[in-house]
Parts: sequence; structure tokens; C-alpha cells
Amino acid sequence: MRIALIDASPKAKGSTSGILLDDLRHCLSGRAGMEMVDVALHSPQMQEEAWEKLDCADGWVFACPLYVDCLPGHLLSCLAQMDEKYSGGKEIAVYGIVNCGFYEGIQAETALKVMQNWCAKAGFAWRGGIGVGGGGALDIMTATPQEHGPKAPISKALSEMADNITEAGKGSAWENRYVSVAFPRFLYKMAGQMGWRHEIKANGGKSKDLGKRP
Amino acid sequence: MKLIITDIEEFNLPVEGEYKVIKPESGIHHCVGCFGCWTKTPGKCVIHDGYENTGINMGKCSEMILVSRCFYGSVSPFVKMVQDRAISYVHPDFVIRKGEMHHKRRYENVIALSLYLYGENITEAEKETAASIMDANADNYDGQVKQIRFFSNIEEMEGLVL
Ligand SMILES: Cc1cc2nc3c(=O)[nH]c(=O)nc-3n(C[C@H](O)[C@H](O)[C@H](O)COP(=O)(O)O)c2cc1C
Repeated sequence: MRIALIDASPKAKGSTSGILLDDLRHCLSGRAGMEMVDVALHSPQMQEEAWEKLDCADGWVFACPLYVDCLPGHLLSCLAQMDEKYSGGKEIAVYGIVNCGFYEGIQAETALKVMQNWCAKAGFAWRGGIGVGGGGALDIMTATPQEHGPKAPISKALSEMADNITEAGKGSAWENRYVSVAFPRFLYKMAGQMGWRHEIKANGGKSKDLGKRP
Repeated sequence: MKLIITDIEEFNLPVEGEYKVIKPESGIHHCVGCFGCWTKTPGKCVIHDGYENTGINMGKCSEMILVSRCFYGSVSPFVKMVQDRAISYVHPDFVIRKGEMHHKRRYENVIALSLYLYGENITEAEKETAASIMDANADNYDGQVKQIRFFSNIEEMEGLVL
């Protein structure tokens, strides 16, 4: 079985989506008959290389950030092109992982719904999704899936997704799951706000400039 | 001021009162997720392609009206890219609102959100999704949903006054 791991963050490097796909890859690697290909959808225009990889996959796993309670605009554009190309003519299992900056994974529900609607329209088989809250904290955590610690709930959901991918055809689609980093919300909030102050200073500004009203 | 964001190039619906229309004039660049609009030029997007001031315009509007083709329950890629490029409307700091994390306000205006979605065969599921997104947007902008309407095509919107 060939699974396309589709990184649909607009960031080519250093994205949380990339980390989540790495973790899923870790869960899937070594399973019998499992082959993985990486697809990059960082811009609104589908590239030839992406088409080739999507064409010959049995499953597509999208990972993207939540943007304004929905999928990022560039990804919507890619999805529309995929719909146009494959509509009604491709048997494919689709999974989605949407990570959000806010703490509550449930905030990604609307974006996963859009993906489900896309599947319904194009005739793809929606197999389930994960909404990941606290995405901003993942880059400072250990690089592999974890059974304990702040990343554990996310690792568990990804490992269950990997099981479902492996059983595709046999297992049934599962309900979307919503998880957050196991890290108190007030600390996540504080760390985030310290991060903005650090960044604006690194850019030569002052903390109070964060609230400018141009 | 009413801020209208639409994917209709020949947008010509009548609008009552003062308004500004953002529509496809030149190619729009998508948001690259750099957060420069919060930490480099707070309040304004750092990509200079004519669409960098939407966050500022949102700060001046009383109503934001999205007129868009429906894409799976979402607005179209163009309208969405404009929205993505305008998160500077809110302040990067966080607040807890209705038990969930959101951003602090940058401006004081309360935006009334309206959505006019058009497209053939918009499904019930898509309509529900569209309504959920609007509710979520209202929580994030700390505004209110004014109205949501669906049309089978652009012509069906004739006679509307925004
Ligand atoms: C334009 C834009 C809009 C965003 N909107 C939301 C949002 O509505 N809710 C949320 O929780 N996070 C939002 N975020 C935060 C991102 O989802 C978060 O930073 C995520 O971890 C980025 O993932 P990536 O590194 O894979 O691109 C937004 C970020 C950007 C740049």
C-alpha cells in the first residue's frame, strides 16, 4: 500500500504539519507492505511532481494548519484542482490532520468538515481526521512520538490513525478525534505571548508595538 | 464602512452607505504563515501585492460581507487568501472567550459578518459547515454573525442591496 503524506502548510520548512507527518511516518514505517511518498503542497498551484505522486497512491494523508477556522486558502485552491482532475474517477482513502495555534483541538472541526465535504463532492473515501490543539508547542518537543509527556495524546491519536491506514479496506472509518498537548493551557498561553515579545524584539521593535493600530 | 470581499471580478451589486470592495484585480499571494503582520509590521501584512491592508480595513469597518463561490462549505480560495492575509486585525496575545482560546482585540470595532455564498448544488452539509465557520469567525474576530444566504448562481443575487 502506498500512502502519500501531504504537507499542506505554506511553510516549506519548520512547520508543525511537517512534524506531525514525521511522527505518523514513524508509526507507519516498518509495517508490512507500507510504502510512503512525500508530497508538498505549499502554494496554490499544483506542481507536476505532486500530481505524479498523488496519481499512484492508495491513500492521501493531508496535514495542514488551521487558518481562520478553515483550511488555508492555498490548500483550498489545490483541493479544487484535485477535485477537477479526479472527480468521480478515483478510489482513494483520505485522512486529514489539522493543527491549530489555539489550545483546543476541537477548533479544527470546521476545517476537517470542509475536507469531508470535498471528499463527498469528489467521490473520495473520507477515513477520518485529527484536530490537534496547541500546535505551536510541538516544535520544542522531542522529535519522535511519545507514550508519556506533553506530546502523548497527539502521538496516541497518530498511532491510531496509522492502525486505521494499515487496515484500510478492512477497518471502518473512524470519528474525527480532537486532542491537545498535555500541557496546562495557561502555560501554553504564557509561552506563546513571551514568544511574540521575543520575536518583535528580534525584529528591532518593542513589546508595546504588538498592539499598534495602523 | 462596509468591507466587501468577493471573488466576483465584475462585482456590481448596489451597496448602501460607505463601502470598500476587495476583489481579484491582480494576482494575490497566499499567506505564508510568517506572522510578520504581528511581529515585523504589526497590523499590516508584509507581502506587498495590493492585498496587504485588509487587516487595517477590517479595523475600520462595521460590517464585513463575504460574497463568494462556495467551495465545500468554505469561501473560495481567493476570498480565503484575503482573509488569511488579514489576521493582523486581531492582536497576537491570547484571551479565553466562551471557554476557548482566541486572540485579543487590536481594534475596538465590533464587526457584523455576512456571508453570501453562491454555487450550483450547495449541499446541506456544506451549508452547515459554512454556518459553523461563520460562528467560529465571529468568536475569533469578537464580532457577530449578521446573516448567511445561499444562491444557485451569481444572477440569482440580482436585486440584492448590500
Ligand atoms: C493566517 C493564519 C490564520 C490562523 N488562524 C488560526 C485559527 O483560526 N485558529 C487557530 O487555532 N490557529 C490559527 N492560526 C495558527 C496556526 O494554525 C498555527 O500557527 C499552526 O501551528 C501552524 O501550523 P504549520 O506550522 O503546520 O503551518 C493561524 C495562523 C495563520 C498564519
